[in-house]
Amino acid sequence: MLHKTDSNAIWFVAAALGLFFIGGLLTTVAPPLIDKSWAKPFENHDPAKGPTGKLVDYTAQEKRGYDIYIREGCKYCHTQQTRTLASDVKRSGWKGVDSPVSTPDEFVYDYRQTFGTKRTGPDLSRVGGKYSGQWHKAHFNNPRDLVPGSIMPPFPWIANNPDELAALVAYLQTRGRAKEWRPDNDYEK
Amino acid sequence: MAIQPGSESAAAVAGQEIHQDTTVKWFLLGAVGYFAVVGIIALIIAAKFVWPQFLGSIQYFTYGRMRPLHVNGMLFGWLLAADMGLAYYLVPRLCGVKLWSEKLGVATSILWNVIILSAIVSLLGGYQKGLEYADLPTPVAVLVVIAWVMFGFNIFATIATRKYEQMYVSTWYLMGTILWTAFVYLTGNFATLLPGVTGVNQANLNWMYTHNAVGLIFTPAGLAVAYYFIPRCANTPLYNHKLSMVGFWSLAFVYVWTGAHHMLHGPISQWLQTISIVFSVMLLIPVWAVVYNFIATMKGQWHQLGNNVSLKFLMSGTIFYLLTCFQGPMHSLRSVNAIVSKTDWIPGHAHMAVMGTFSFIAMAGVYWVIPRVFHTKLHSEAAANWSFWLFMIGGLGMFTSLWLGGFWQGWQWNNPSIPFIDTVIALKPVWMVRFFSGVLIFSGIVLFFYNIWSTALGSGKSQPAPAKAEGRVYAA
Repeated sequence: MLHKTDSNAIWFVAAALGLFFIGGLLTTVAPPLIDKSWAKPFENHDPAKGPTGKLVDYTAQEKRGYDIYIREGCKYCHTQQTRTLASDVKRSGWKGVDSPVSTPDEFVYDYRQTFGTKRTGPDLSRVGGKYSGQWHKAHFNNPRDLVPGSIMPPFPWIANNPDELAALVAYLQTRGRAKEWRPDNDYEK
Repeated sequence: MAIQPGSESAAAVAGQEIHQDTTVKWFLLGAVGYFAVVGIIALIIAAKFVWPQFLGSIQYFTYGRMRPLHVNGMLFGWLLAADMGLAYYLVPRLCGVKLWSEKLGVATSILWNVIILSAIVSLLGGYQKGLEYADLPTPVAVLVVIAWVMFGFNIFATIATRKYEQMYVSTWYLMGTILWTAFVYLTGNFATLLPGVTGVNQANLNWMYTHNAVGLIFTPAGLAVAYYFIPRCANTPLYNHKLSMVGFWSLAFVYVWTGAHHMLHGPISQWLQTISIVFSVMLLIPVWAVVYNFIATMKGQWHQLGNNVSLKFLMSGTIFYLLTCFQGPMHSLRSVNAIVSKTDWIPGHAHMAVMGTFSFIAMAGVYWVIPRVFHTKLHSEAAANWSFWLFMIGGLGMFTSLWLGGFWQGWQWNNPSIPFIDTVIALKPVWMVRFFSGVLIFSGIVLFFYNIWSTALGSGKSQPAPAKAEGRVYAA
């Protein structure tokens, strides 16, 4: 049959699209229909089933911060996924407490996926509540003041803009907080 | 016996008059120009890893804005434009007819320039969609779709009027590129924005696009160019037509399934991860079929590499293709992925695919085509040879430093007692080597740019040789 495609362009187009669409549809359209957790916000009140908590939608200010995160291309250096690897769970953890792994239902309100492909800086999937607003301000102004050896660019135009800074910090503080796995407002020094 | 790019050499002599090649010139000269411009951006972002303060406090030149410009500029401004220009050259020749419309072709090229210039302005301004590889804002993405339809229509209309019934492998690959790109691009740039598409669902569509931007856009376009120019430059028939069919149809079926391997161990359904791993390993079939065909075609012809720059680029590109497509399936195995994923190994791998393989192949084509469409000789063979070695040495320096560095980084990450910042500091010598490799690569780009543009600009000054005589020279 494929021999016909050698000299007949119509056959060719049909075969090339047909083969492509089998995999194309089964890997893009089918998965969200099969796996409902992709679209159902996280909610659990039974400690026996794992961490409890509830995912809530972003506030207007958090959305503004989210847009700044996109605008500055933060995701090119920071991933947002605590993978099923032991080292990820430890690194996202806090004061000896392991972090829960990231699950699809924690990202339902993310209108721009921020999972990332490259971890030049640390993962941010559980950064919410780890550092105070003051810490973030100083860090955005010049990361090397707080973390010697860091190669993160300075963002003075955000650090010196109270509105943008507050929005971006508000967004960052939501990261990984749907699951209740450690106390609020207990910042790292 | 299937038709061969060599077998139309008789037609090529006669055909010198039928081909106007205006569109080819517009696309290729533009692509080479953007290669040089975006090369500067590439060098700047490599420098930022070593000197993070460099251009650091000006928001338009910050890393997070320049990286998408580097990626999109290289992918669309240089590589895709070069592949399109080469398609406008080889499809009419393989079909034995004129390009369907030079006017439409030139209009496509003008639109393409509008797209790339708007991309530069919008990405530096922070107007990006926030989806990797699909960073261009929606209005610009709409222009890309229009340009692609104009390109596809022109090529398909040329094929529809062809003189030879049987189509050569390069023609299939280009038709595949046009069809698949359309759907892959729409998925990544528009399906991702449909209401209700968020989080993991959006990421899955995004990776389908990102992965297939390489697998079903740059791979088939690059292979079309290589399938044409390897036999053409070596003046020898393609080894095996059947094998090229195996390579093509297995690519058509297998590639699209693998997007989810970008999220192995991540928050995406396990069964989908497993499917992506199985199909990633199956990718070895189309790759080995193609590489075997290329290598076997060169049997007894290897001595020609010495004085043929295009062949040097083509065959090194083939070897890089073999390597990059061996790495790919290996990364997708869960145990290997746990070490290399998200590390600096990955840009090493990506650069071997897009630069080492497909840019090498496109450069081979540009070096071959530009003197021919301008009916002149290449400005400097020596400079072309230098550009090859700069690319080769710089490329190998970049790939190996990032692989070794990335592998080491992955091992450090897997030991949580090492603070993250220590794994950053440890990589600084690696990034230094990468920057200086980048300087070599950029010098290669500059020589390439200088040589191609000098050939084009100088062609008018020397007295134009009769087209027929030139044609005979190159057909020999």
